[in-house]
Amino acid sequence: MSAILPDHDAARNATGNAPLNGMGNAITAVRGATTAWAASWITAWDQFWFTPQRPHTLALIRIATGLMLLYSQAVLALRLGDFLGDEAWVNNRTIAALNRGEFGAPSAARSYLWLISSPVLLWGHHLLTMAASACLAIGFMTRFTAPLAWFLQLMLIHRLTGVLFGLDQITTMLAMYLMIAPSGAVFSVDAWLRKRLAGPIARDARLAWLFPDDSPSVMAAIATRLAQIHLCVIYLFGGLWKARGTTWWDGTAMWFAAANYEYQSLNLTWLGRFPVVFSALTHLTVFWEVFYCALVWPKLTRPLVLATAVAVHGGIALFLGMMTFGSMMIVANAIFLSPDWIARLTDRGADQRSADSSLTR
Amino acid sequence: MASVLIIGHLWAVIGRPLEFATQGPFGASPSMTRFRDPVRGYSQFAYLDHGYAFFAPEPGPSHLIRATLTQPTGTDATASSPSPVEPLVRNYPDLNDQWPRLLYHRHFMLAEFLNDIHHPPGEPPQEIAQNPVAIREWIQARRRYETVRDSILNRLQTAYPQATVAIDRLEHRQPGLPEFMEDNVPLDAPQLYFVLPDAPPPLPLEPLPPAPIDDSPAAESPAAESTDSETVREPEPATLGRSEAARDARPLVRPIIPRLPLRAPIEVTP
Repeated sequence: MSAILPDHDAARNATGNAPLNGMGNAITAVRGATTAWAASWITAWDQFWFTPQRPHTLALIRIATGLMLLYSQAVLALRLGDFLGDEAWVNNRTIAALNRGEFGAPSAARSYLWLISSPVLLWGHHLLTMAASACLAIGFMTRFTAPLAWFLQLMLIHRLTGVLFGLDQITTMLAMYLMIAPSGAVFSVDAWLRKRLAGPIARDARLAWLFPDDSPSVMAAIATRLAQIHLCVIYLFGGLWKARGTTWWDGTAMWFAAANYEYQSLNLTWLGRFPVVFSALTHLTVFWEVFYCALVWPKLTRPLVLATAVAVHGGIALFLGMMTFGSMMIVANAIFLSPDWIARLTDRGADQRSADSSLTR
Repeated sequence: MASVLIIGHLWAVIGRPLEFATQGPFGASPSMTRFRDPVRGYSQFAYLDHGYAFFAPEPGPSHLIRATLTQPTGTDATASSPSPVEPLVRNYPDLNDQWPRLLYHRHFMLAEFLNDIHHPPGEPPQEIAQNPVAIREWIQARRRYETVRDSILNRLQTAYPQATVAIDRLEHRQPGLPEFMEDNVPLDAPQLYFVLPDAPPPLPLEPLPPAPIDDSPAAESPAAESTDSETVREPEPATLGRSEAARDARPLVRPIIPRLPLRAPIEVTP
């Protein structure tokens, strides 16, 4: 993040070199300083957003997001009629009325799914949605299947008003950022195909676009930065909302979360015997969420912030019955892992496997 | 060009949380509403319109839907034998019925959604009688609730075609720490469940003498069985007509009139 800070030294030099004789020179000096300051911001902006990055982090997140989308859609398929169609809990007519503005302002969250009543069509569409998610997970024709998976997920989400929660927010958000980057360039079927089709790809630019290599790219950088900023917004407002509540201040919120019977998946009420512990955890949660957007950028504090994320979301996954949501939040936090570090890690692993196999041969 | 697109997207990302966080009893902050307006459609379509109030402002009670399924003869709606039994009562969510956990959670969110959009029946209160916008919002809020409730009832009616279906909203509060640790009240103790009435209880005509303070658990006995269970019925044509008339443009600045009942903004989150 330090890269986006303005270059104040440059601004000072601009003023220091200007002889301040008279009003005209003063204006010139101020203009020069302002220009230098603005230029430093623009440079920092460009560095932050457009410095090419490798796609390895995004590729790992792509696998997890695709699998979670697939799982979530498979669970819906267990009782598809409960969620889609004219006999659903929230039926087509009701969804259309909610979103078209019959009870307030209309929403742009439109979906053609609320026009479909035929179970055969709904099943066909749902299978297509699952297939797109599976393709996203394995990285098959990712240039096409990633946008398709995101769009079909959006249509599903806009039809499922009333049964959605944080999991849907996170998976849809990640799917959106994954589709704008070459997230299928590595750890994917596309990467395997690229090796197999090396000759044709070298001759055909369209094939090279379809099966991108894992070199640094601007689109990977933009997708990574957007996801990082989005995650910071989520935590900031999550923390600010908690700061409005009494129990997050008096330290009892963690108890009331643990004592919620409908959320509970593993018994956490033993925390009640340790008020100092659960109140400290409560305060730590608020502090961490509010300051996440600042502390996740410096290299010094980033590991601590990410470790806390794993602990908090791991706790939600294990104890509060939301394995899916907790897991995806941890996956989302992985966006702050350096792609170069992941690349080195996986390359080392591949080298090791290669060495092992040559030894056993 | 890329920078412009990035800024536009970030605008959409931040717009809804800002608007949602500035909600008060009179609606959202007018400035934040105006701030979000240019990207409102995009943020809605791209599913960026969230407030991110996870377990906030308080990790409050849970809400459930209780469905009571009664045969005309009083027999079990699912039983093959004609012997008279108690009406079948089913709660949503229910871990015994919905598996895996994600399916359970979808039903949980449905119950929370129904509770969040609940709006009491009846004529708008006198406080807003002179304000057509507030009256329209009052009517729309009730119709929204009734429409979703009727959809849920229809689903149950389809599943249990022979039964008379009624649903209630239940609130399940968590025990306080002293209740749990000292009085050994389990998390699912019956006294922690309350049937939420559809209409608020009538106000007393005369001021009552102050009640003695009693903070013992027994003072919070479960509410009496609700008599206003919400049963399946056809939509009333008059009500539908009102909906057509109520479709309007959103005011730029909300009138300074309380929207009753005063409540937290709606967003169902884990």
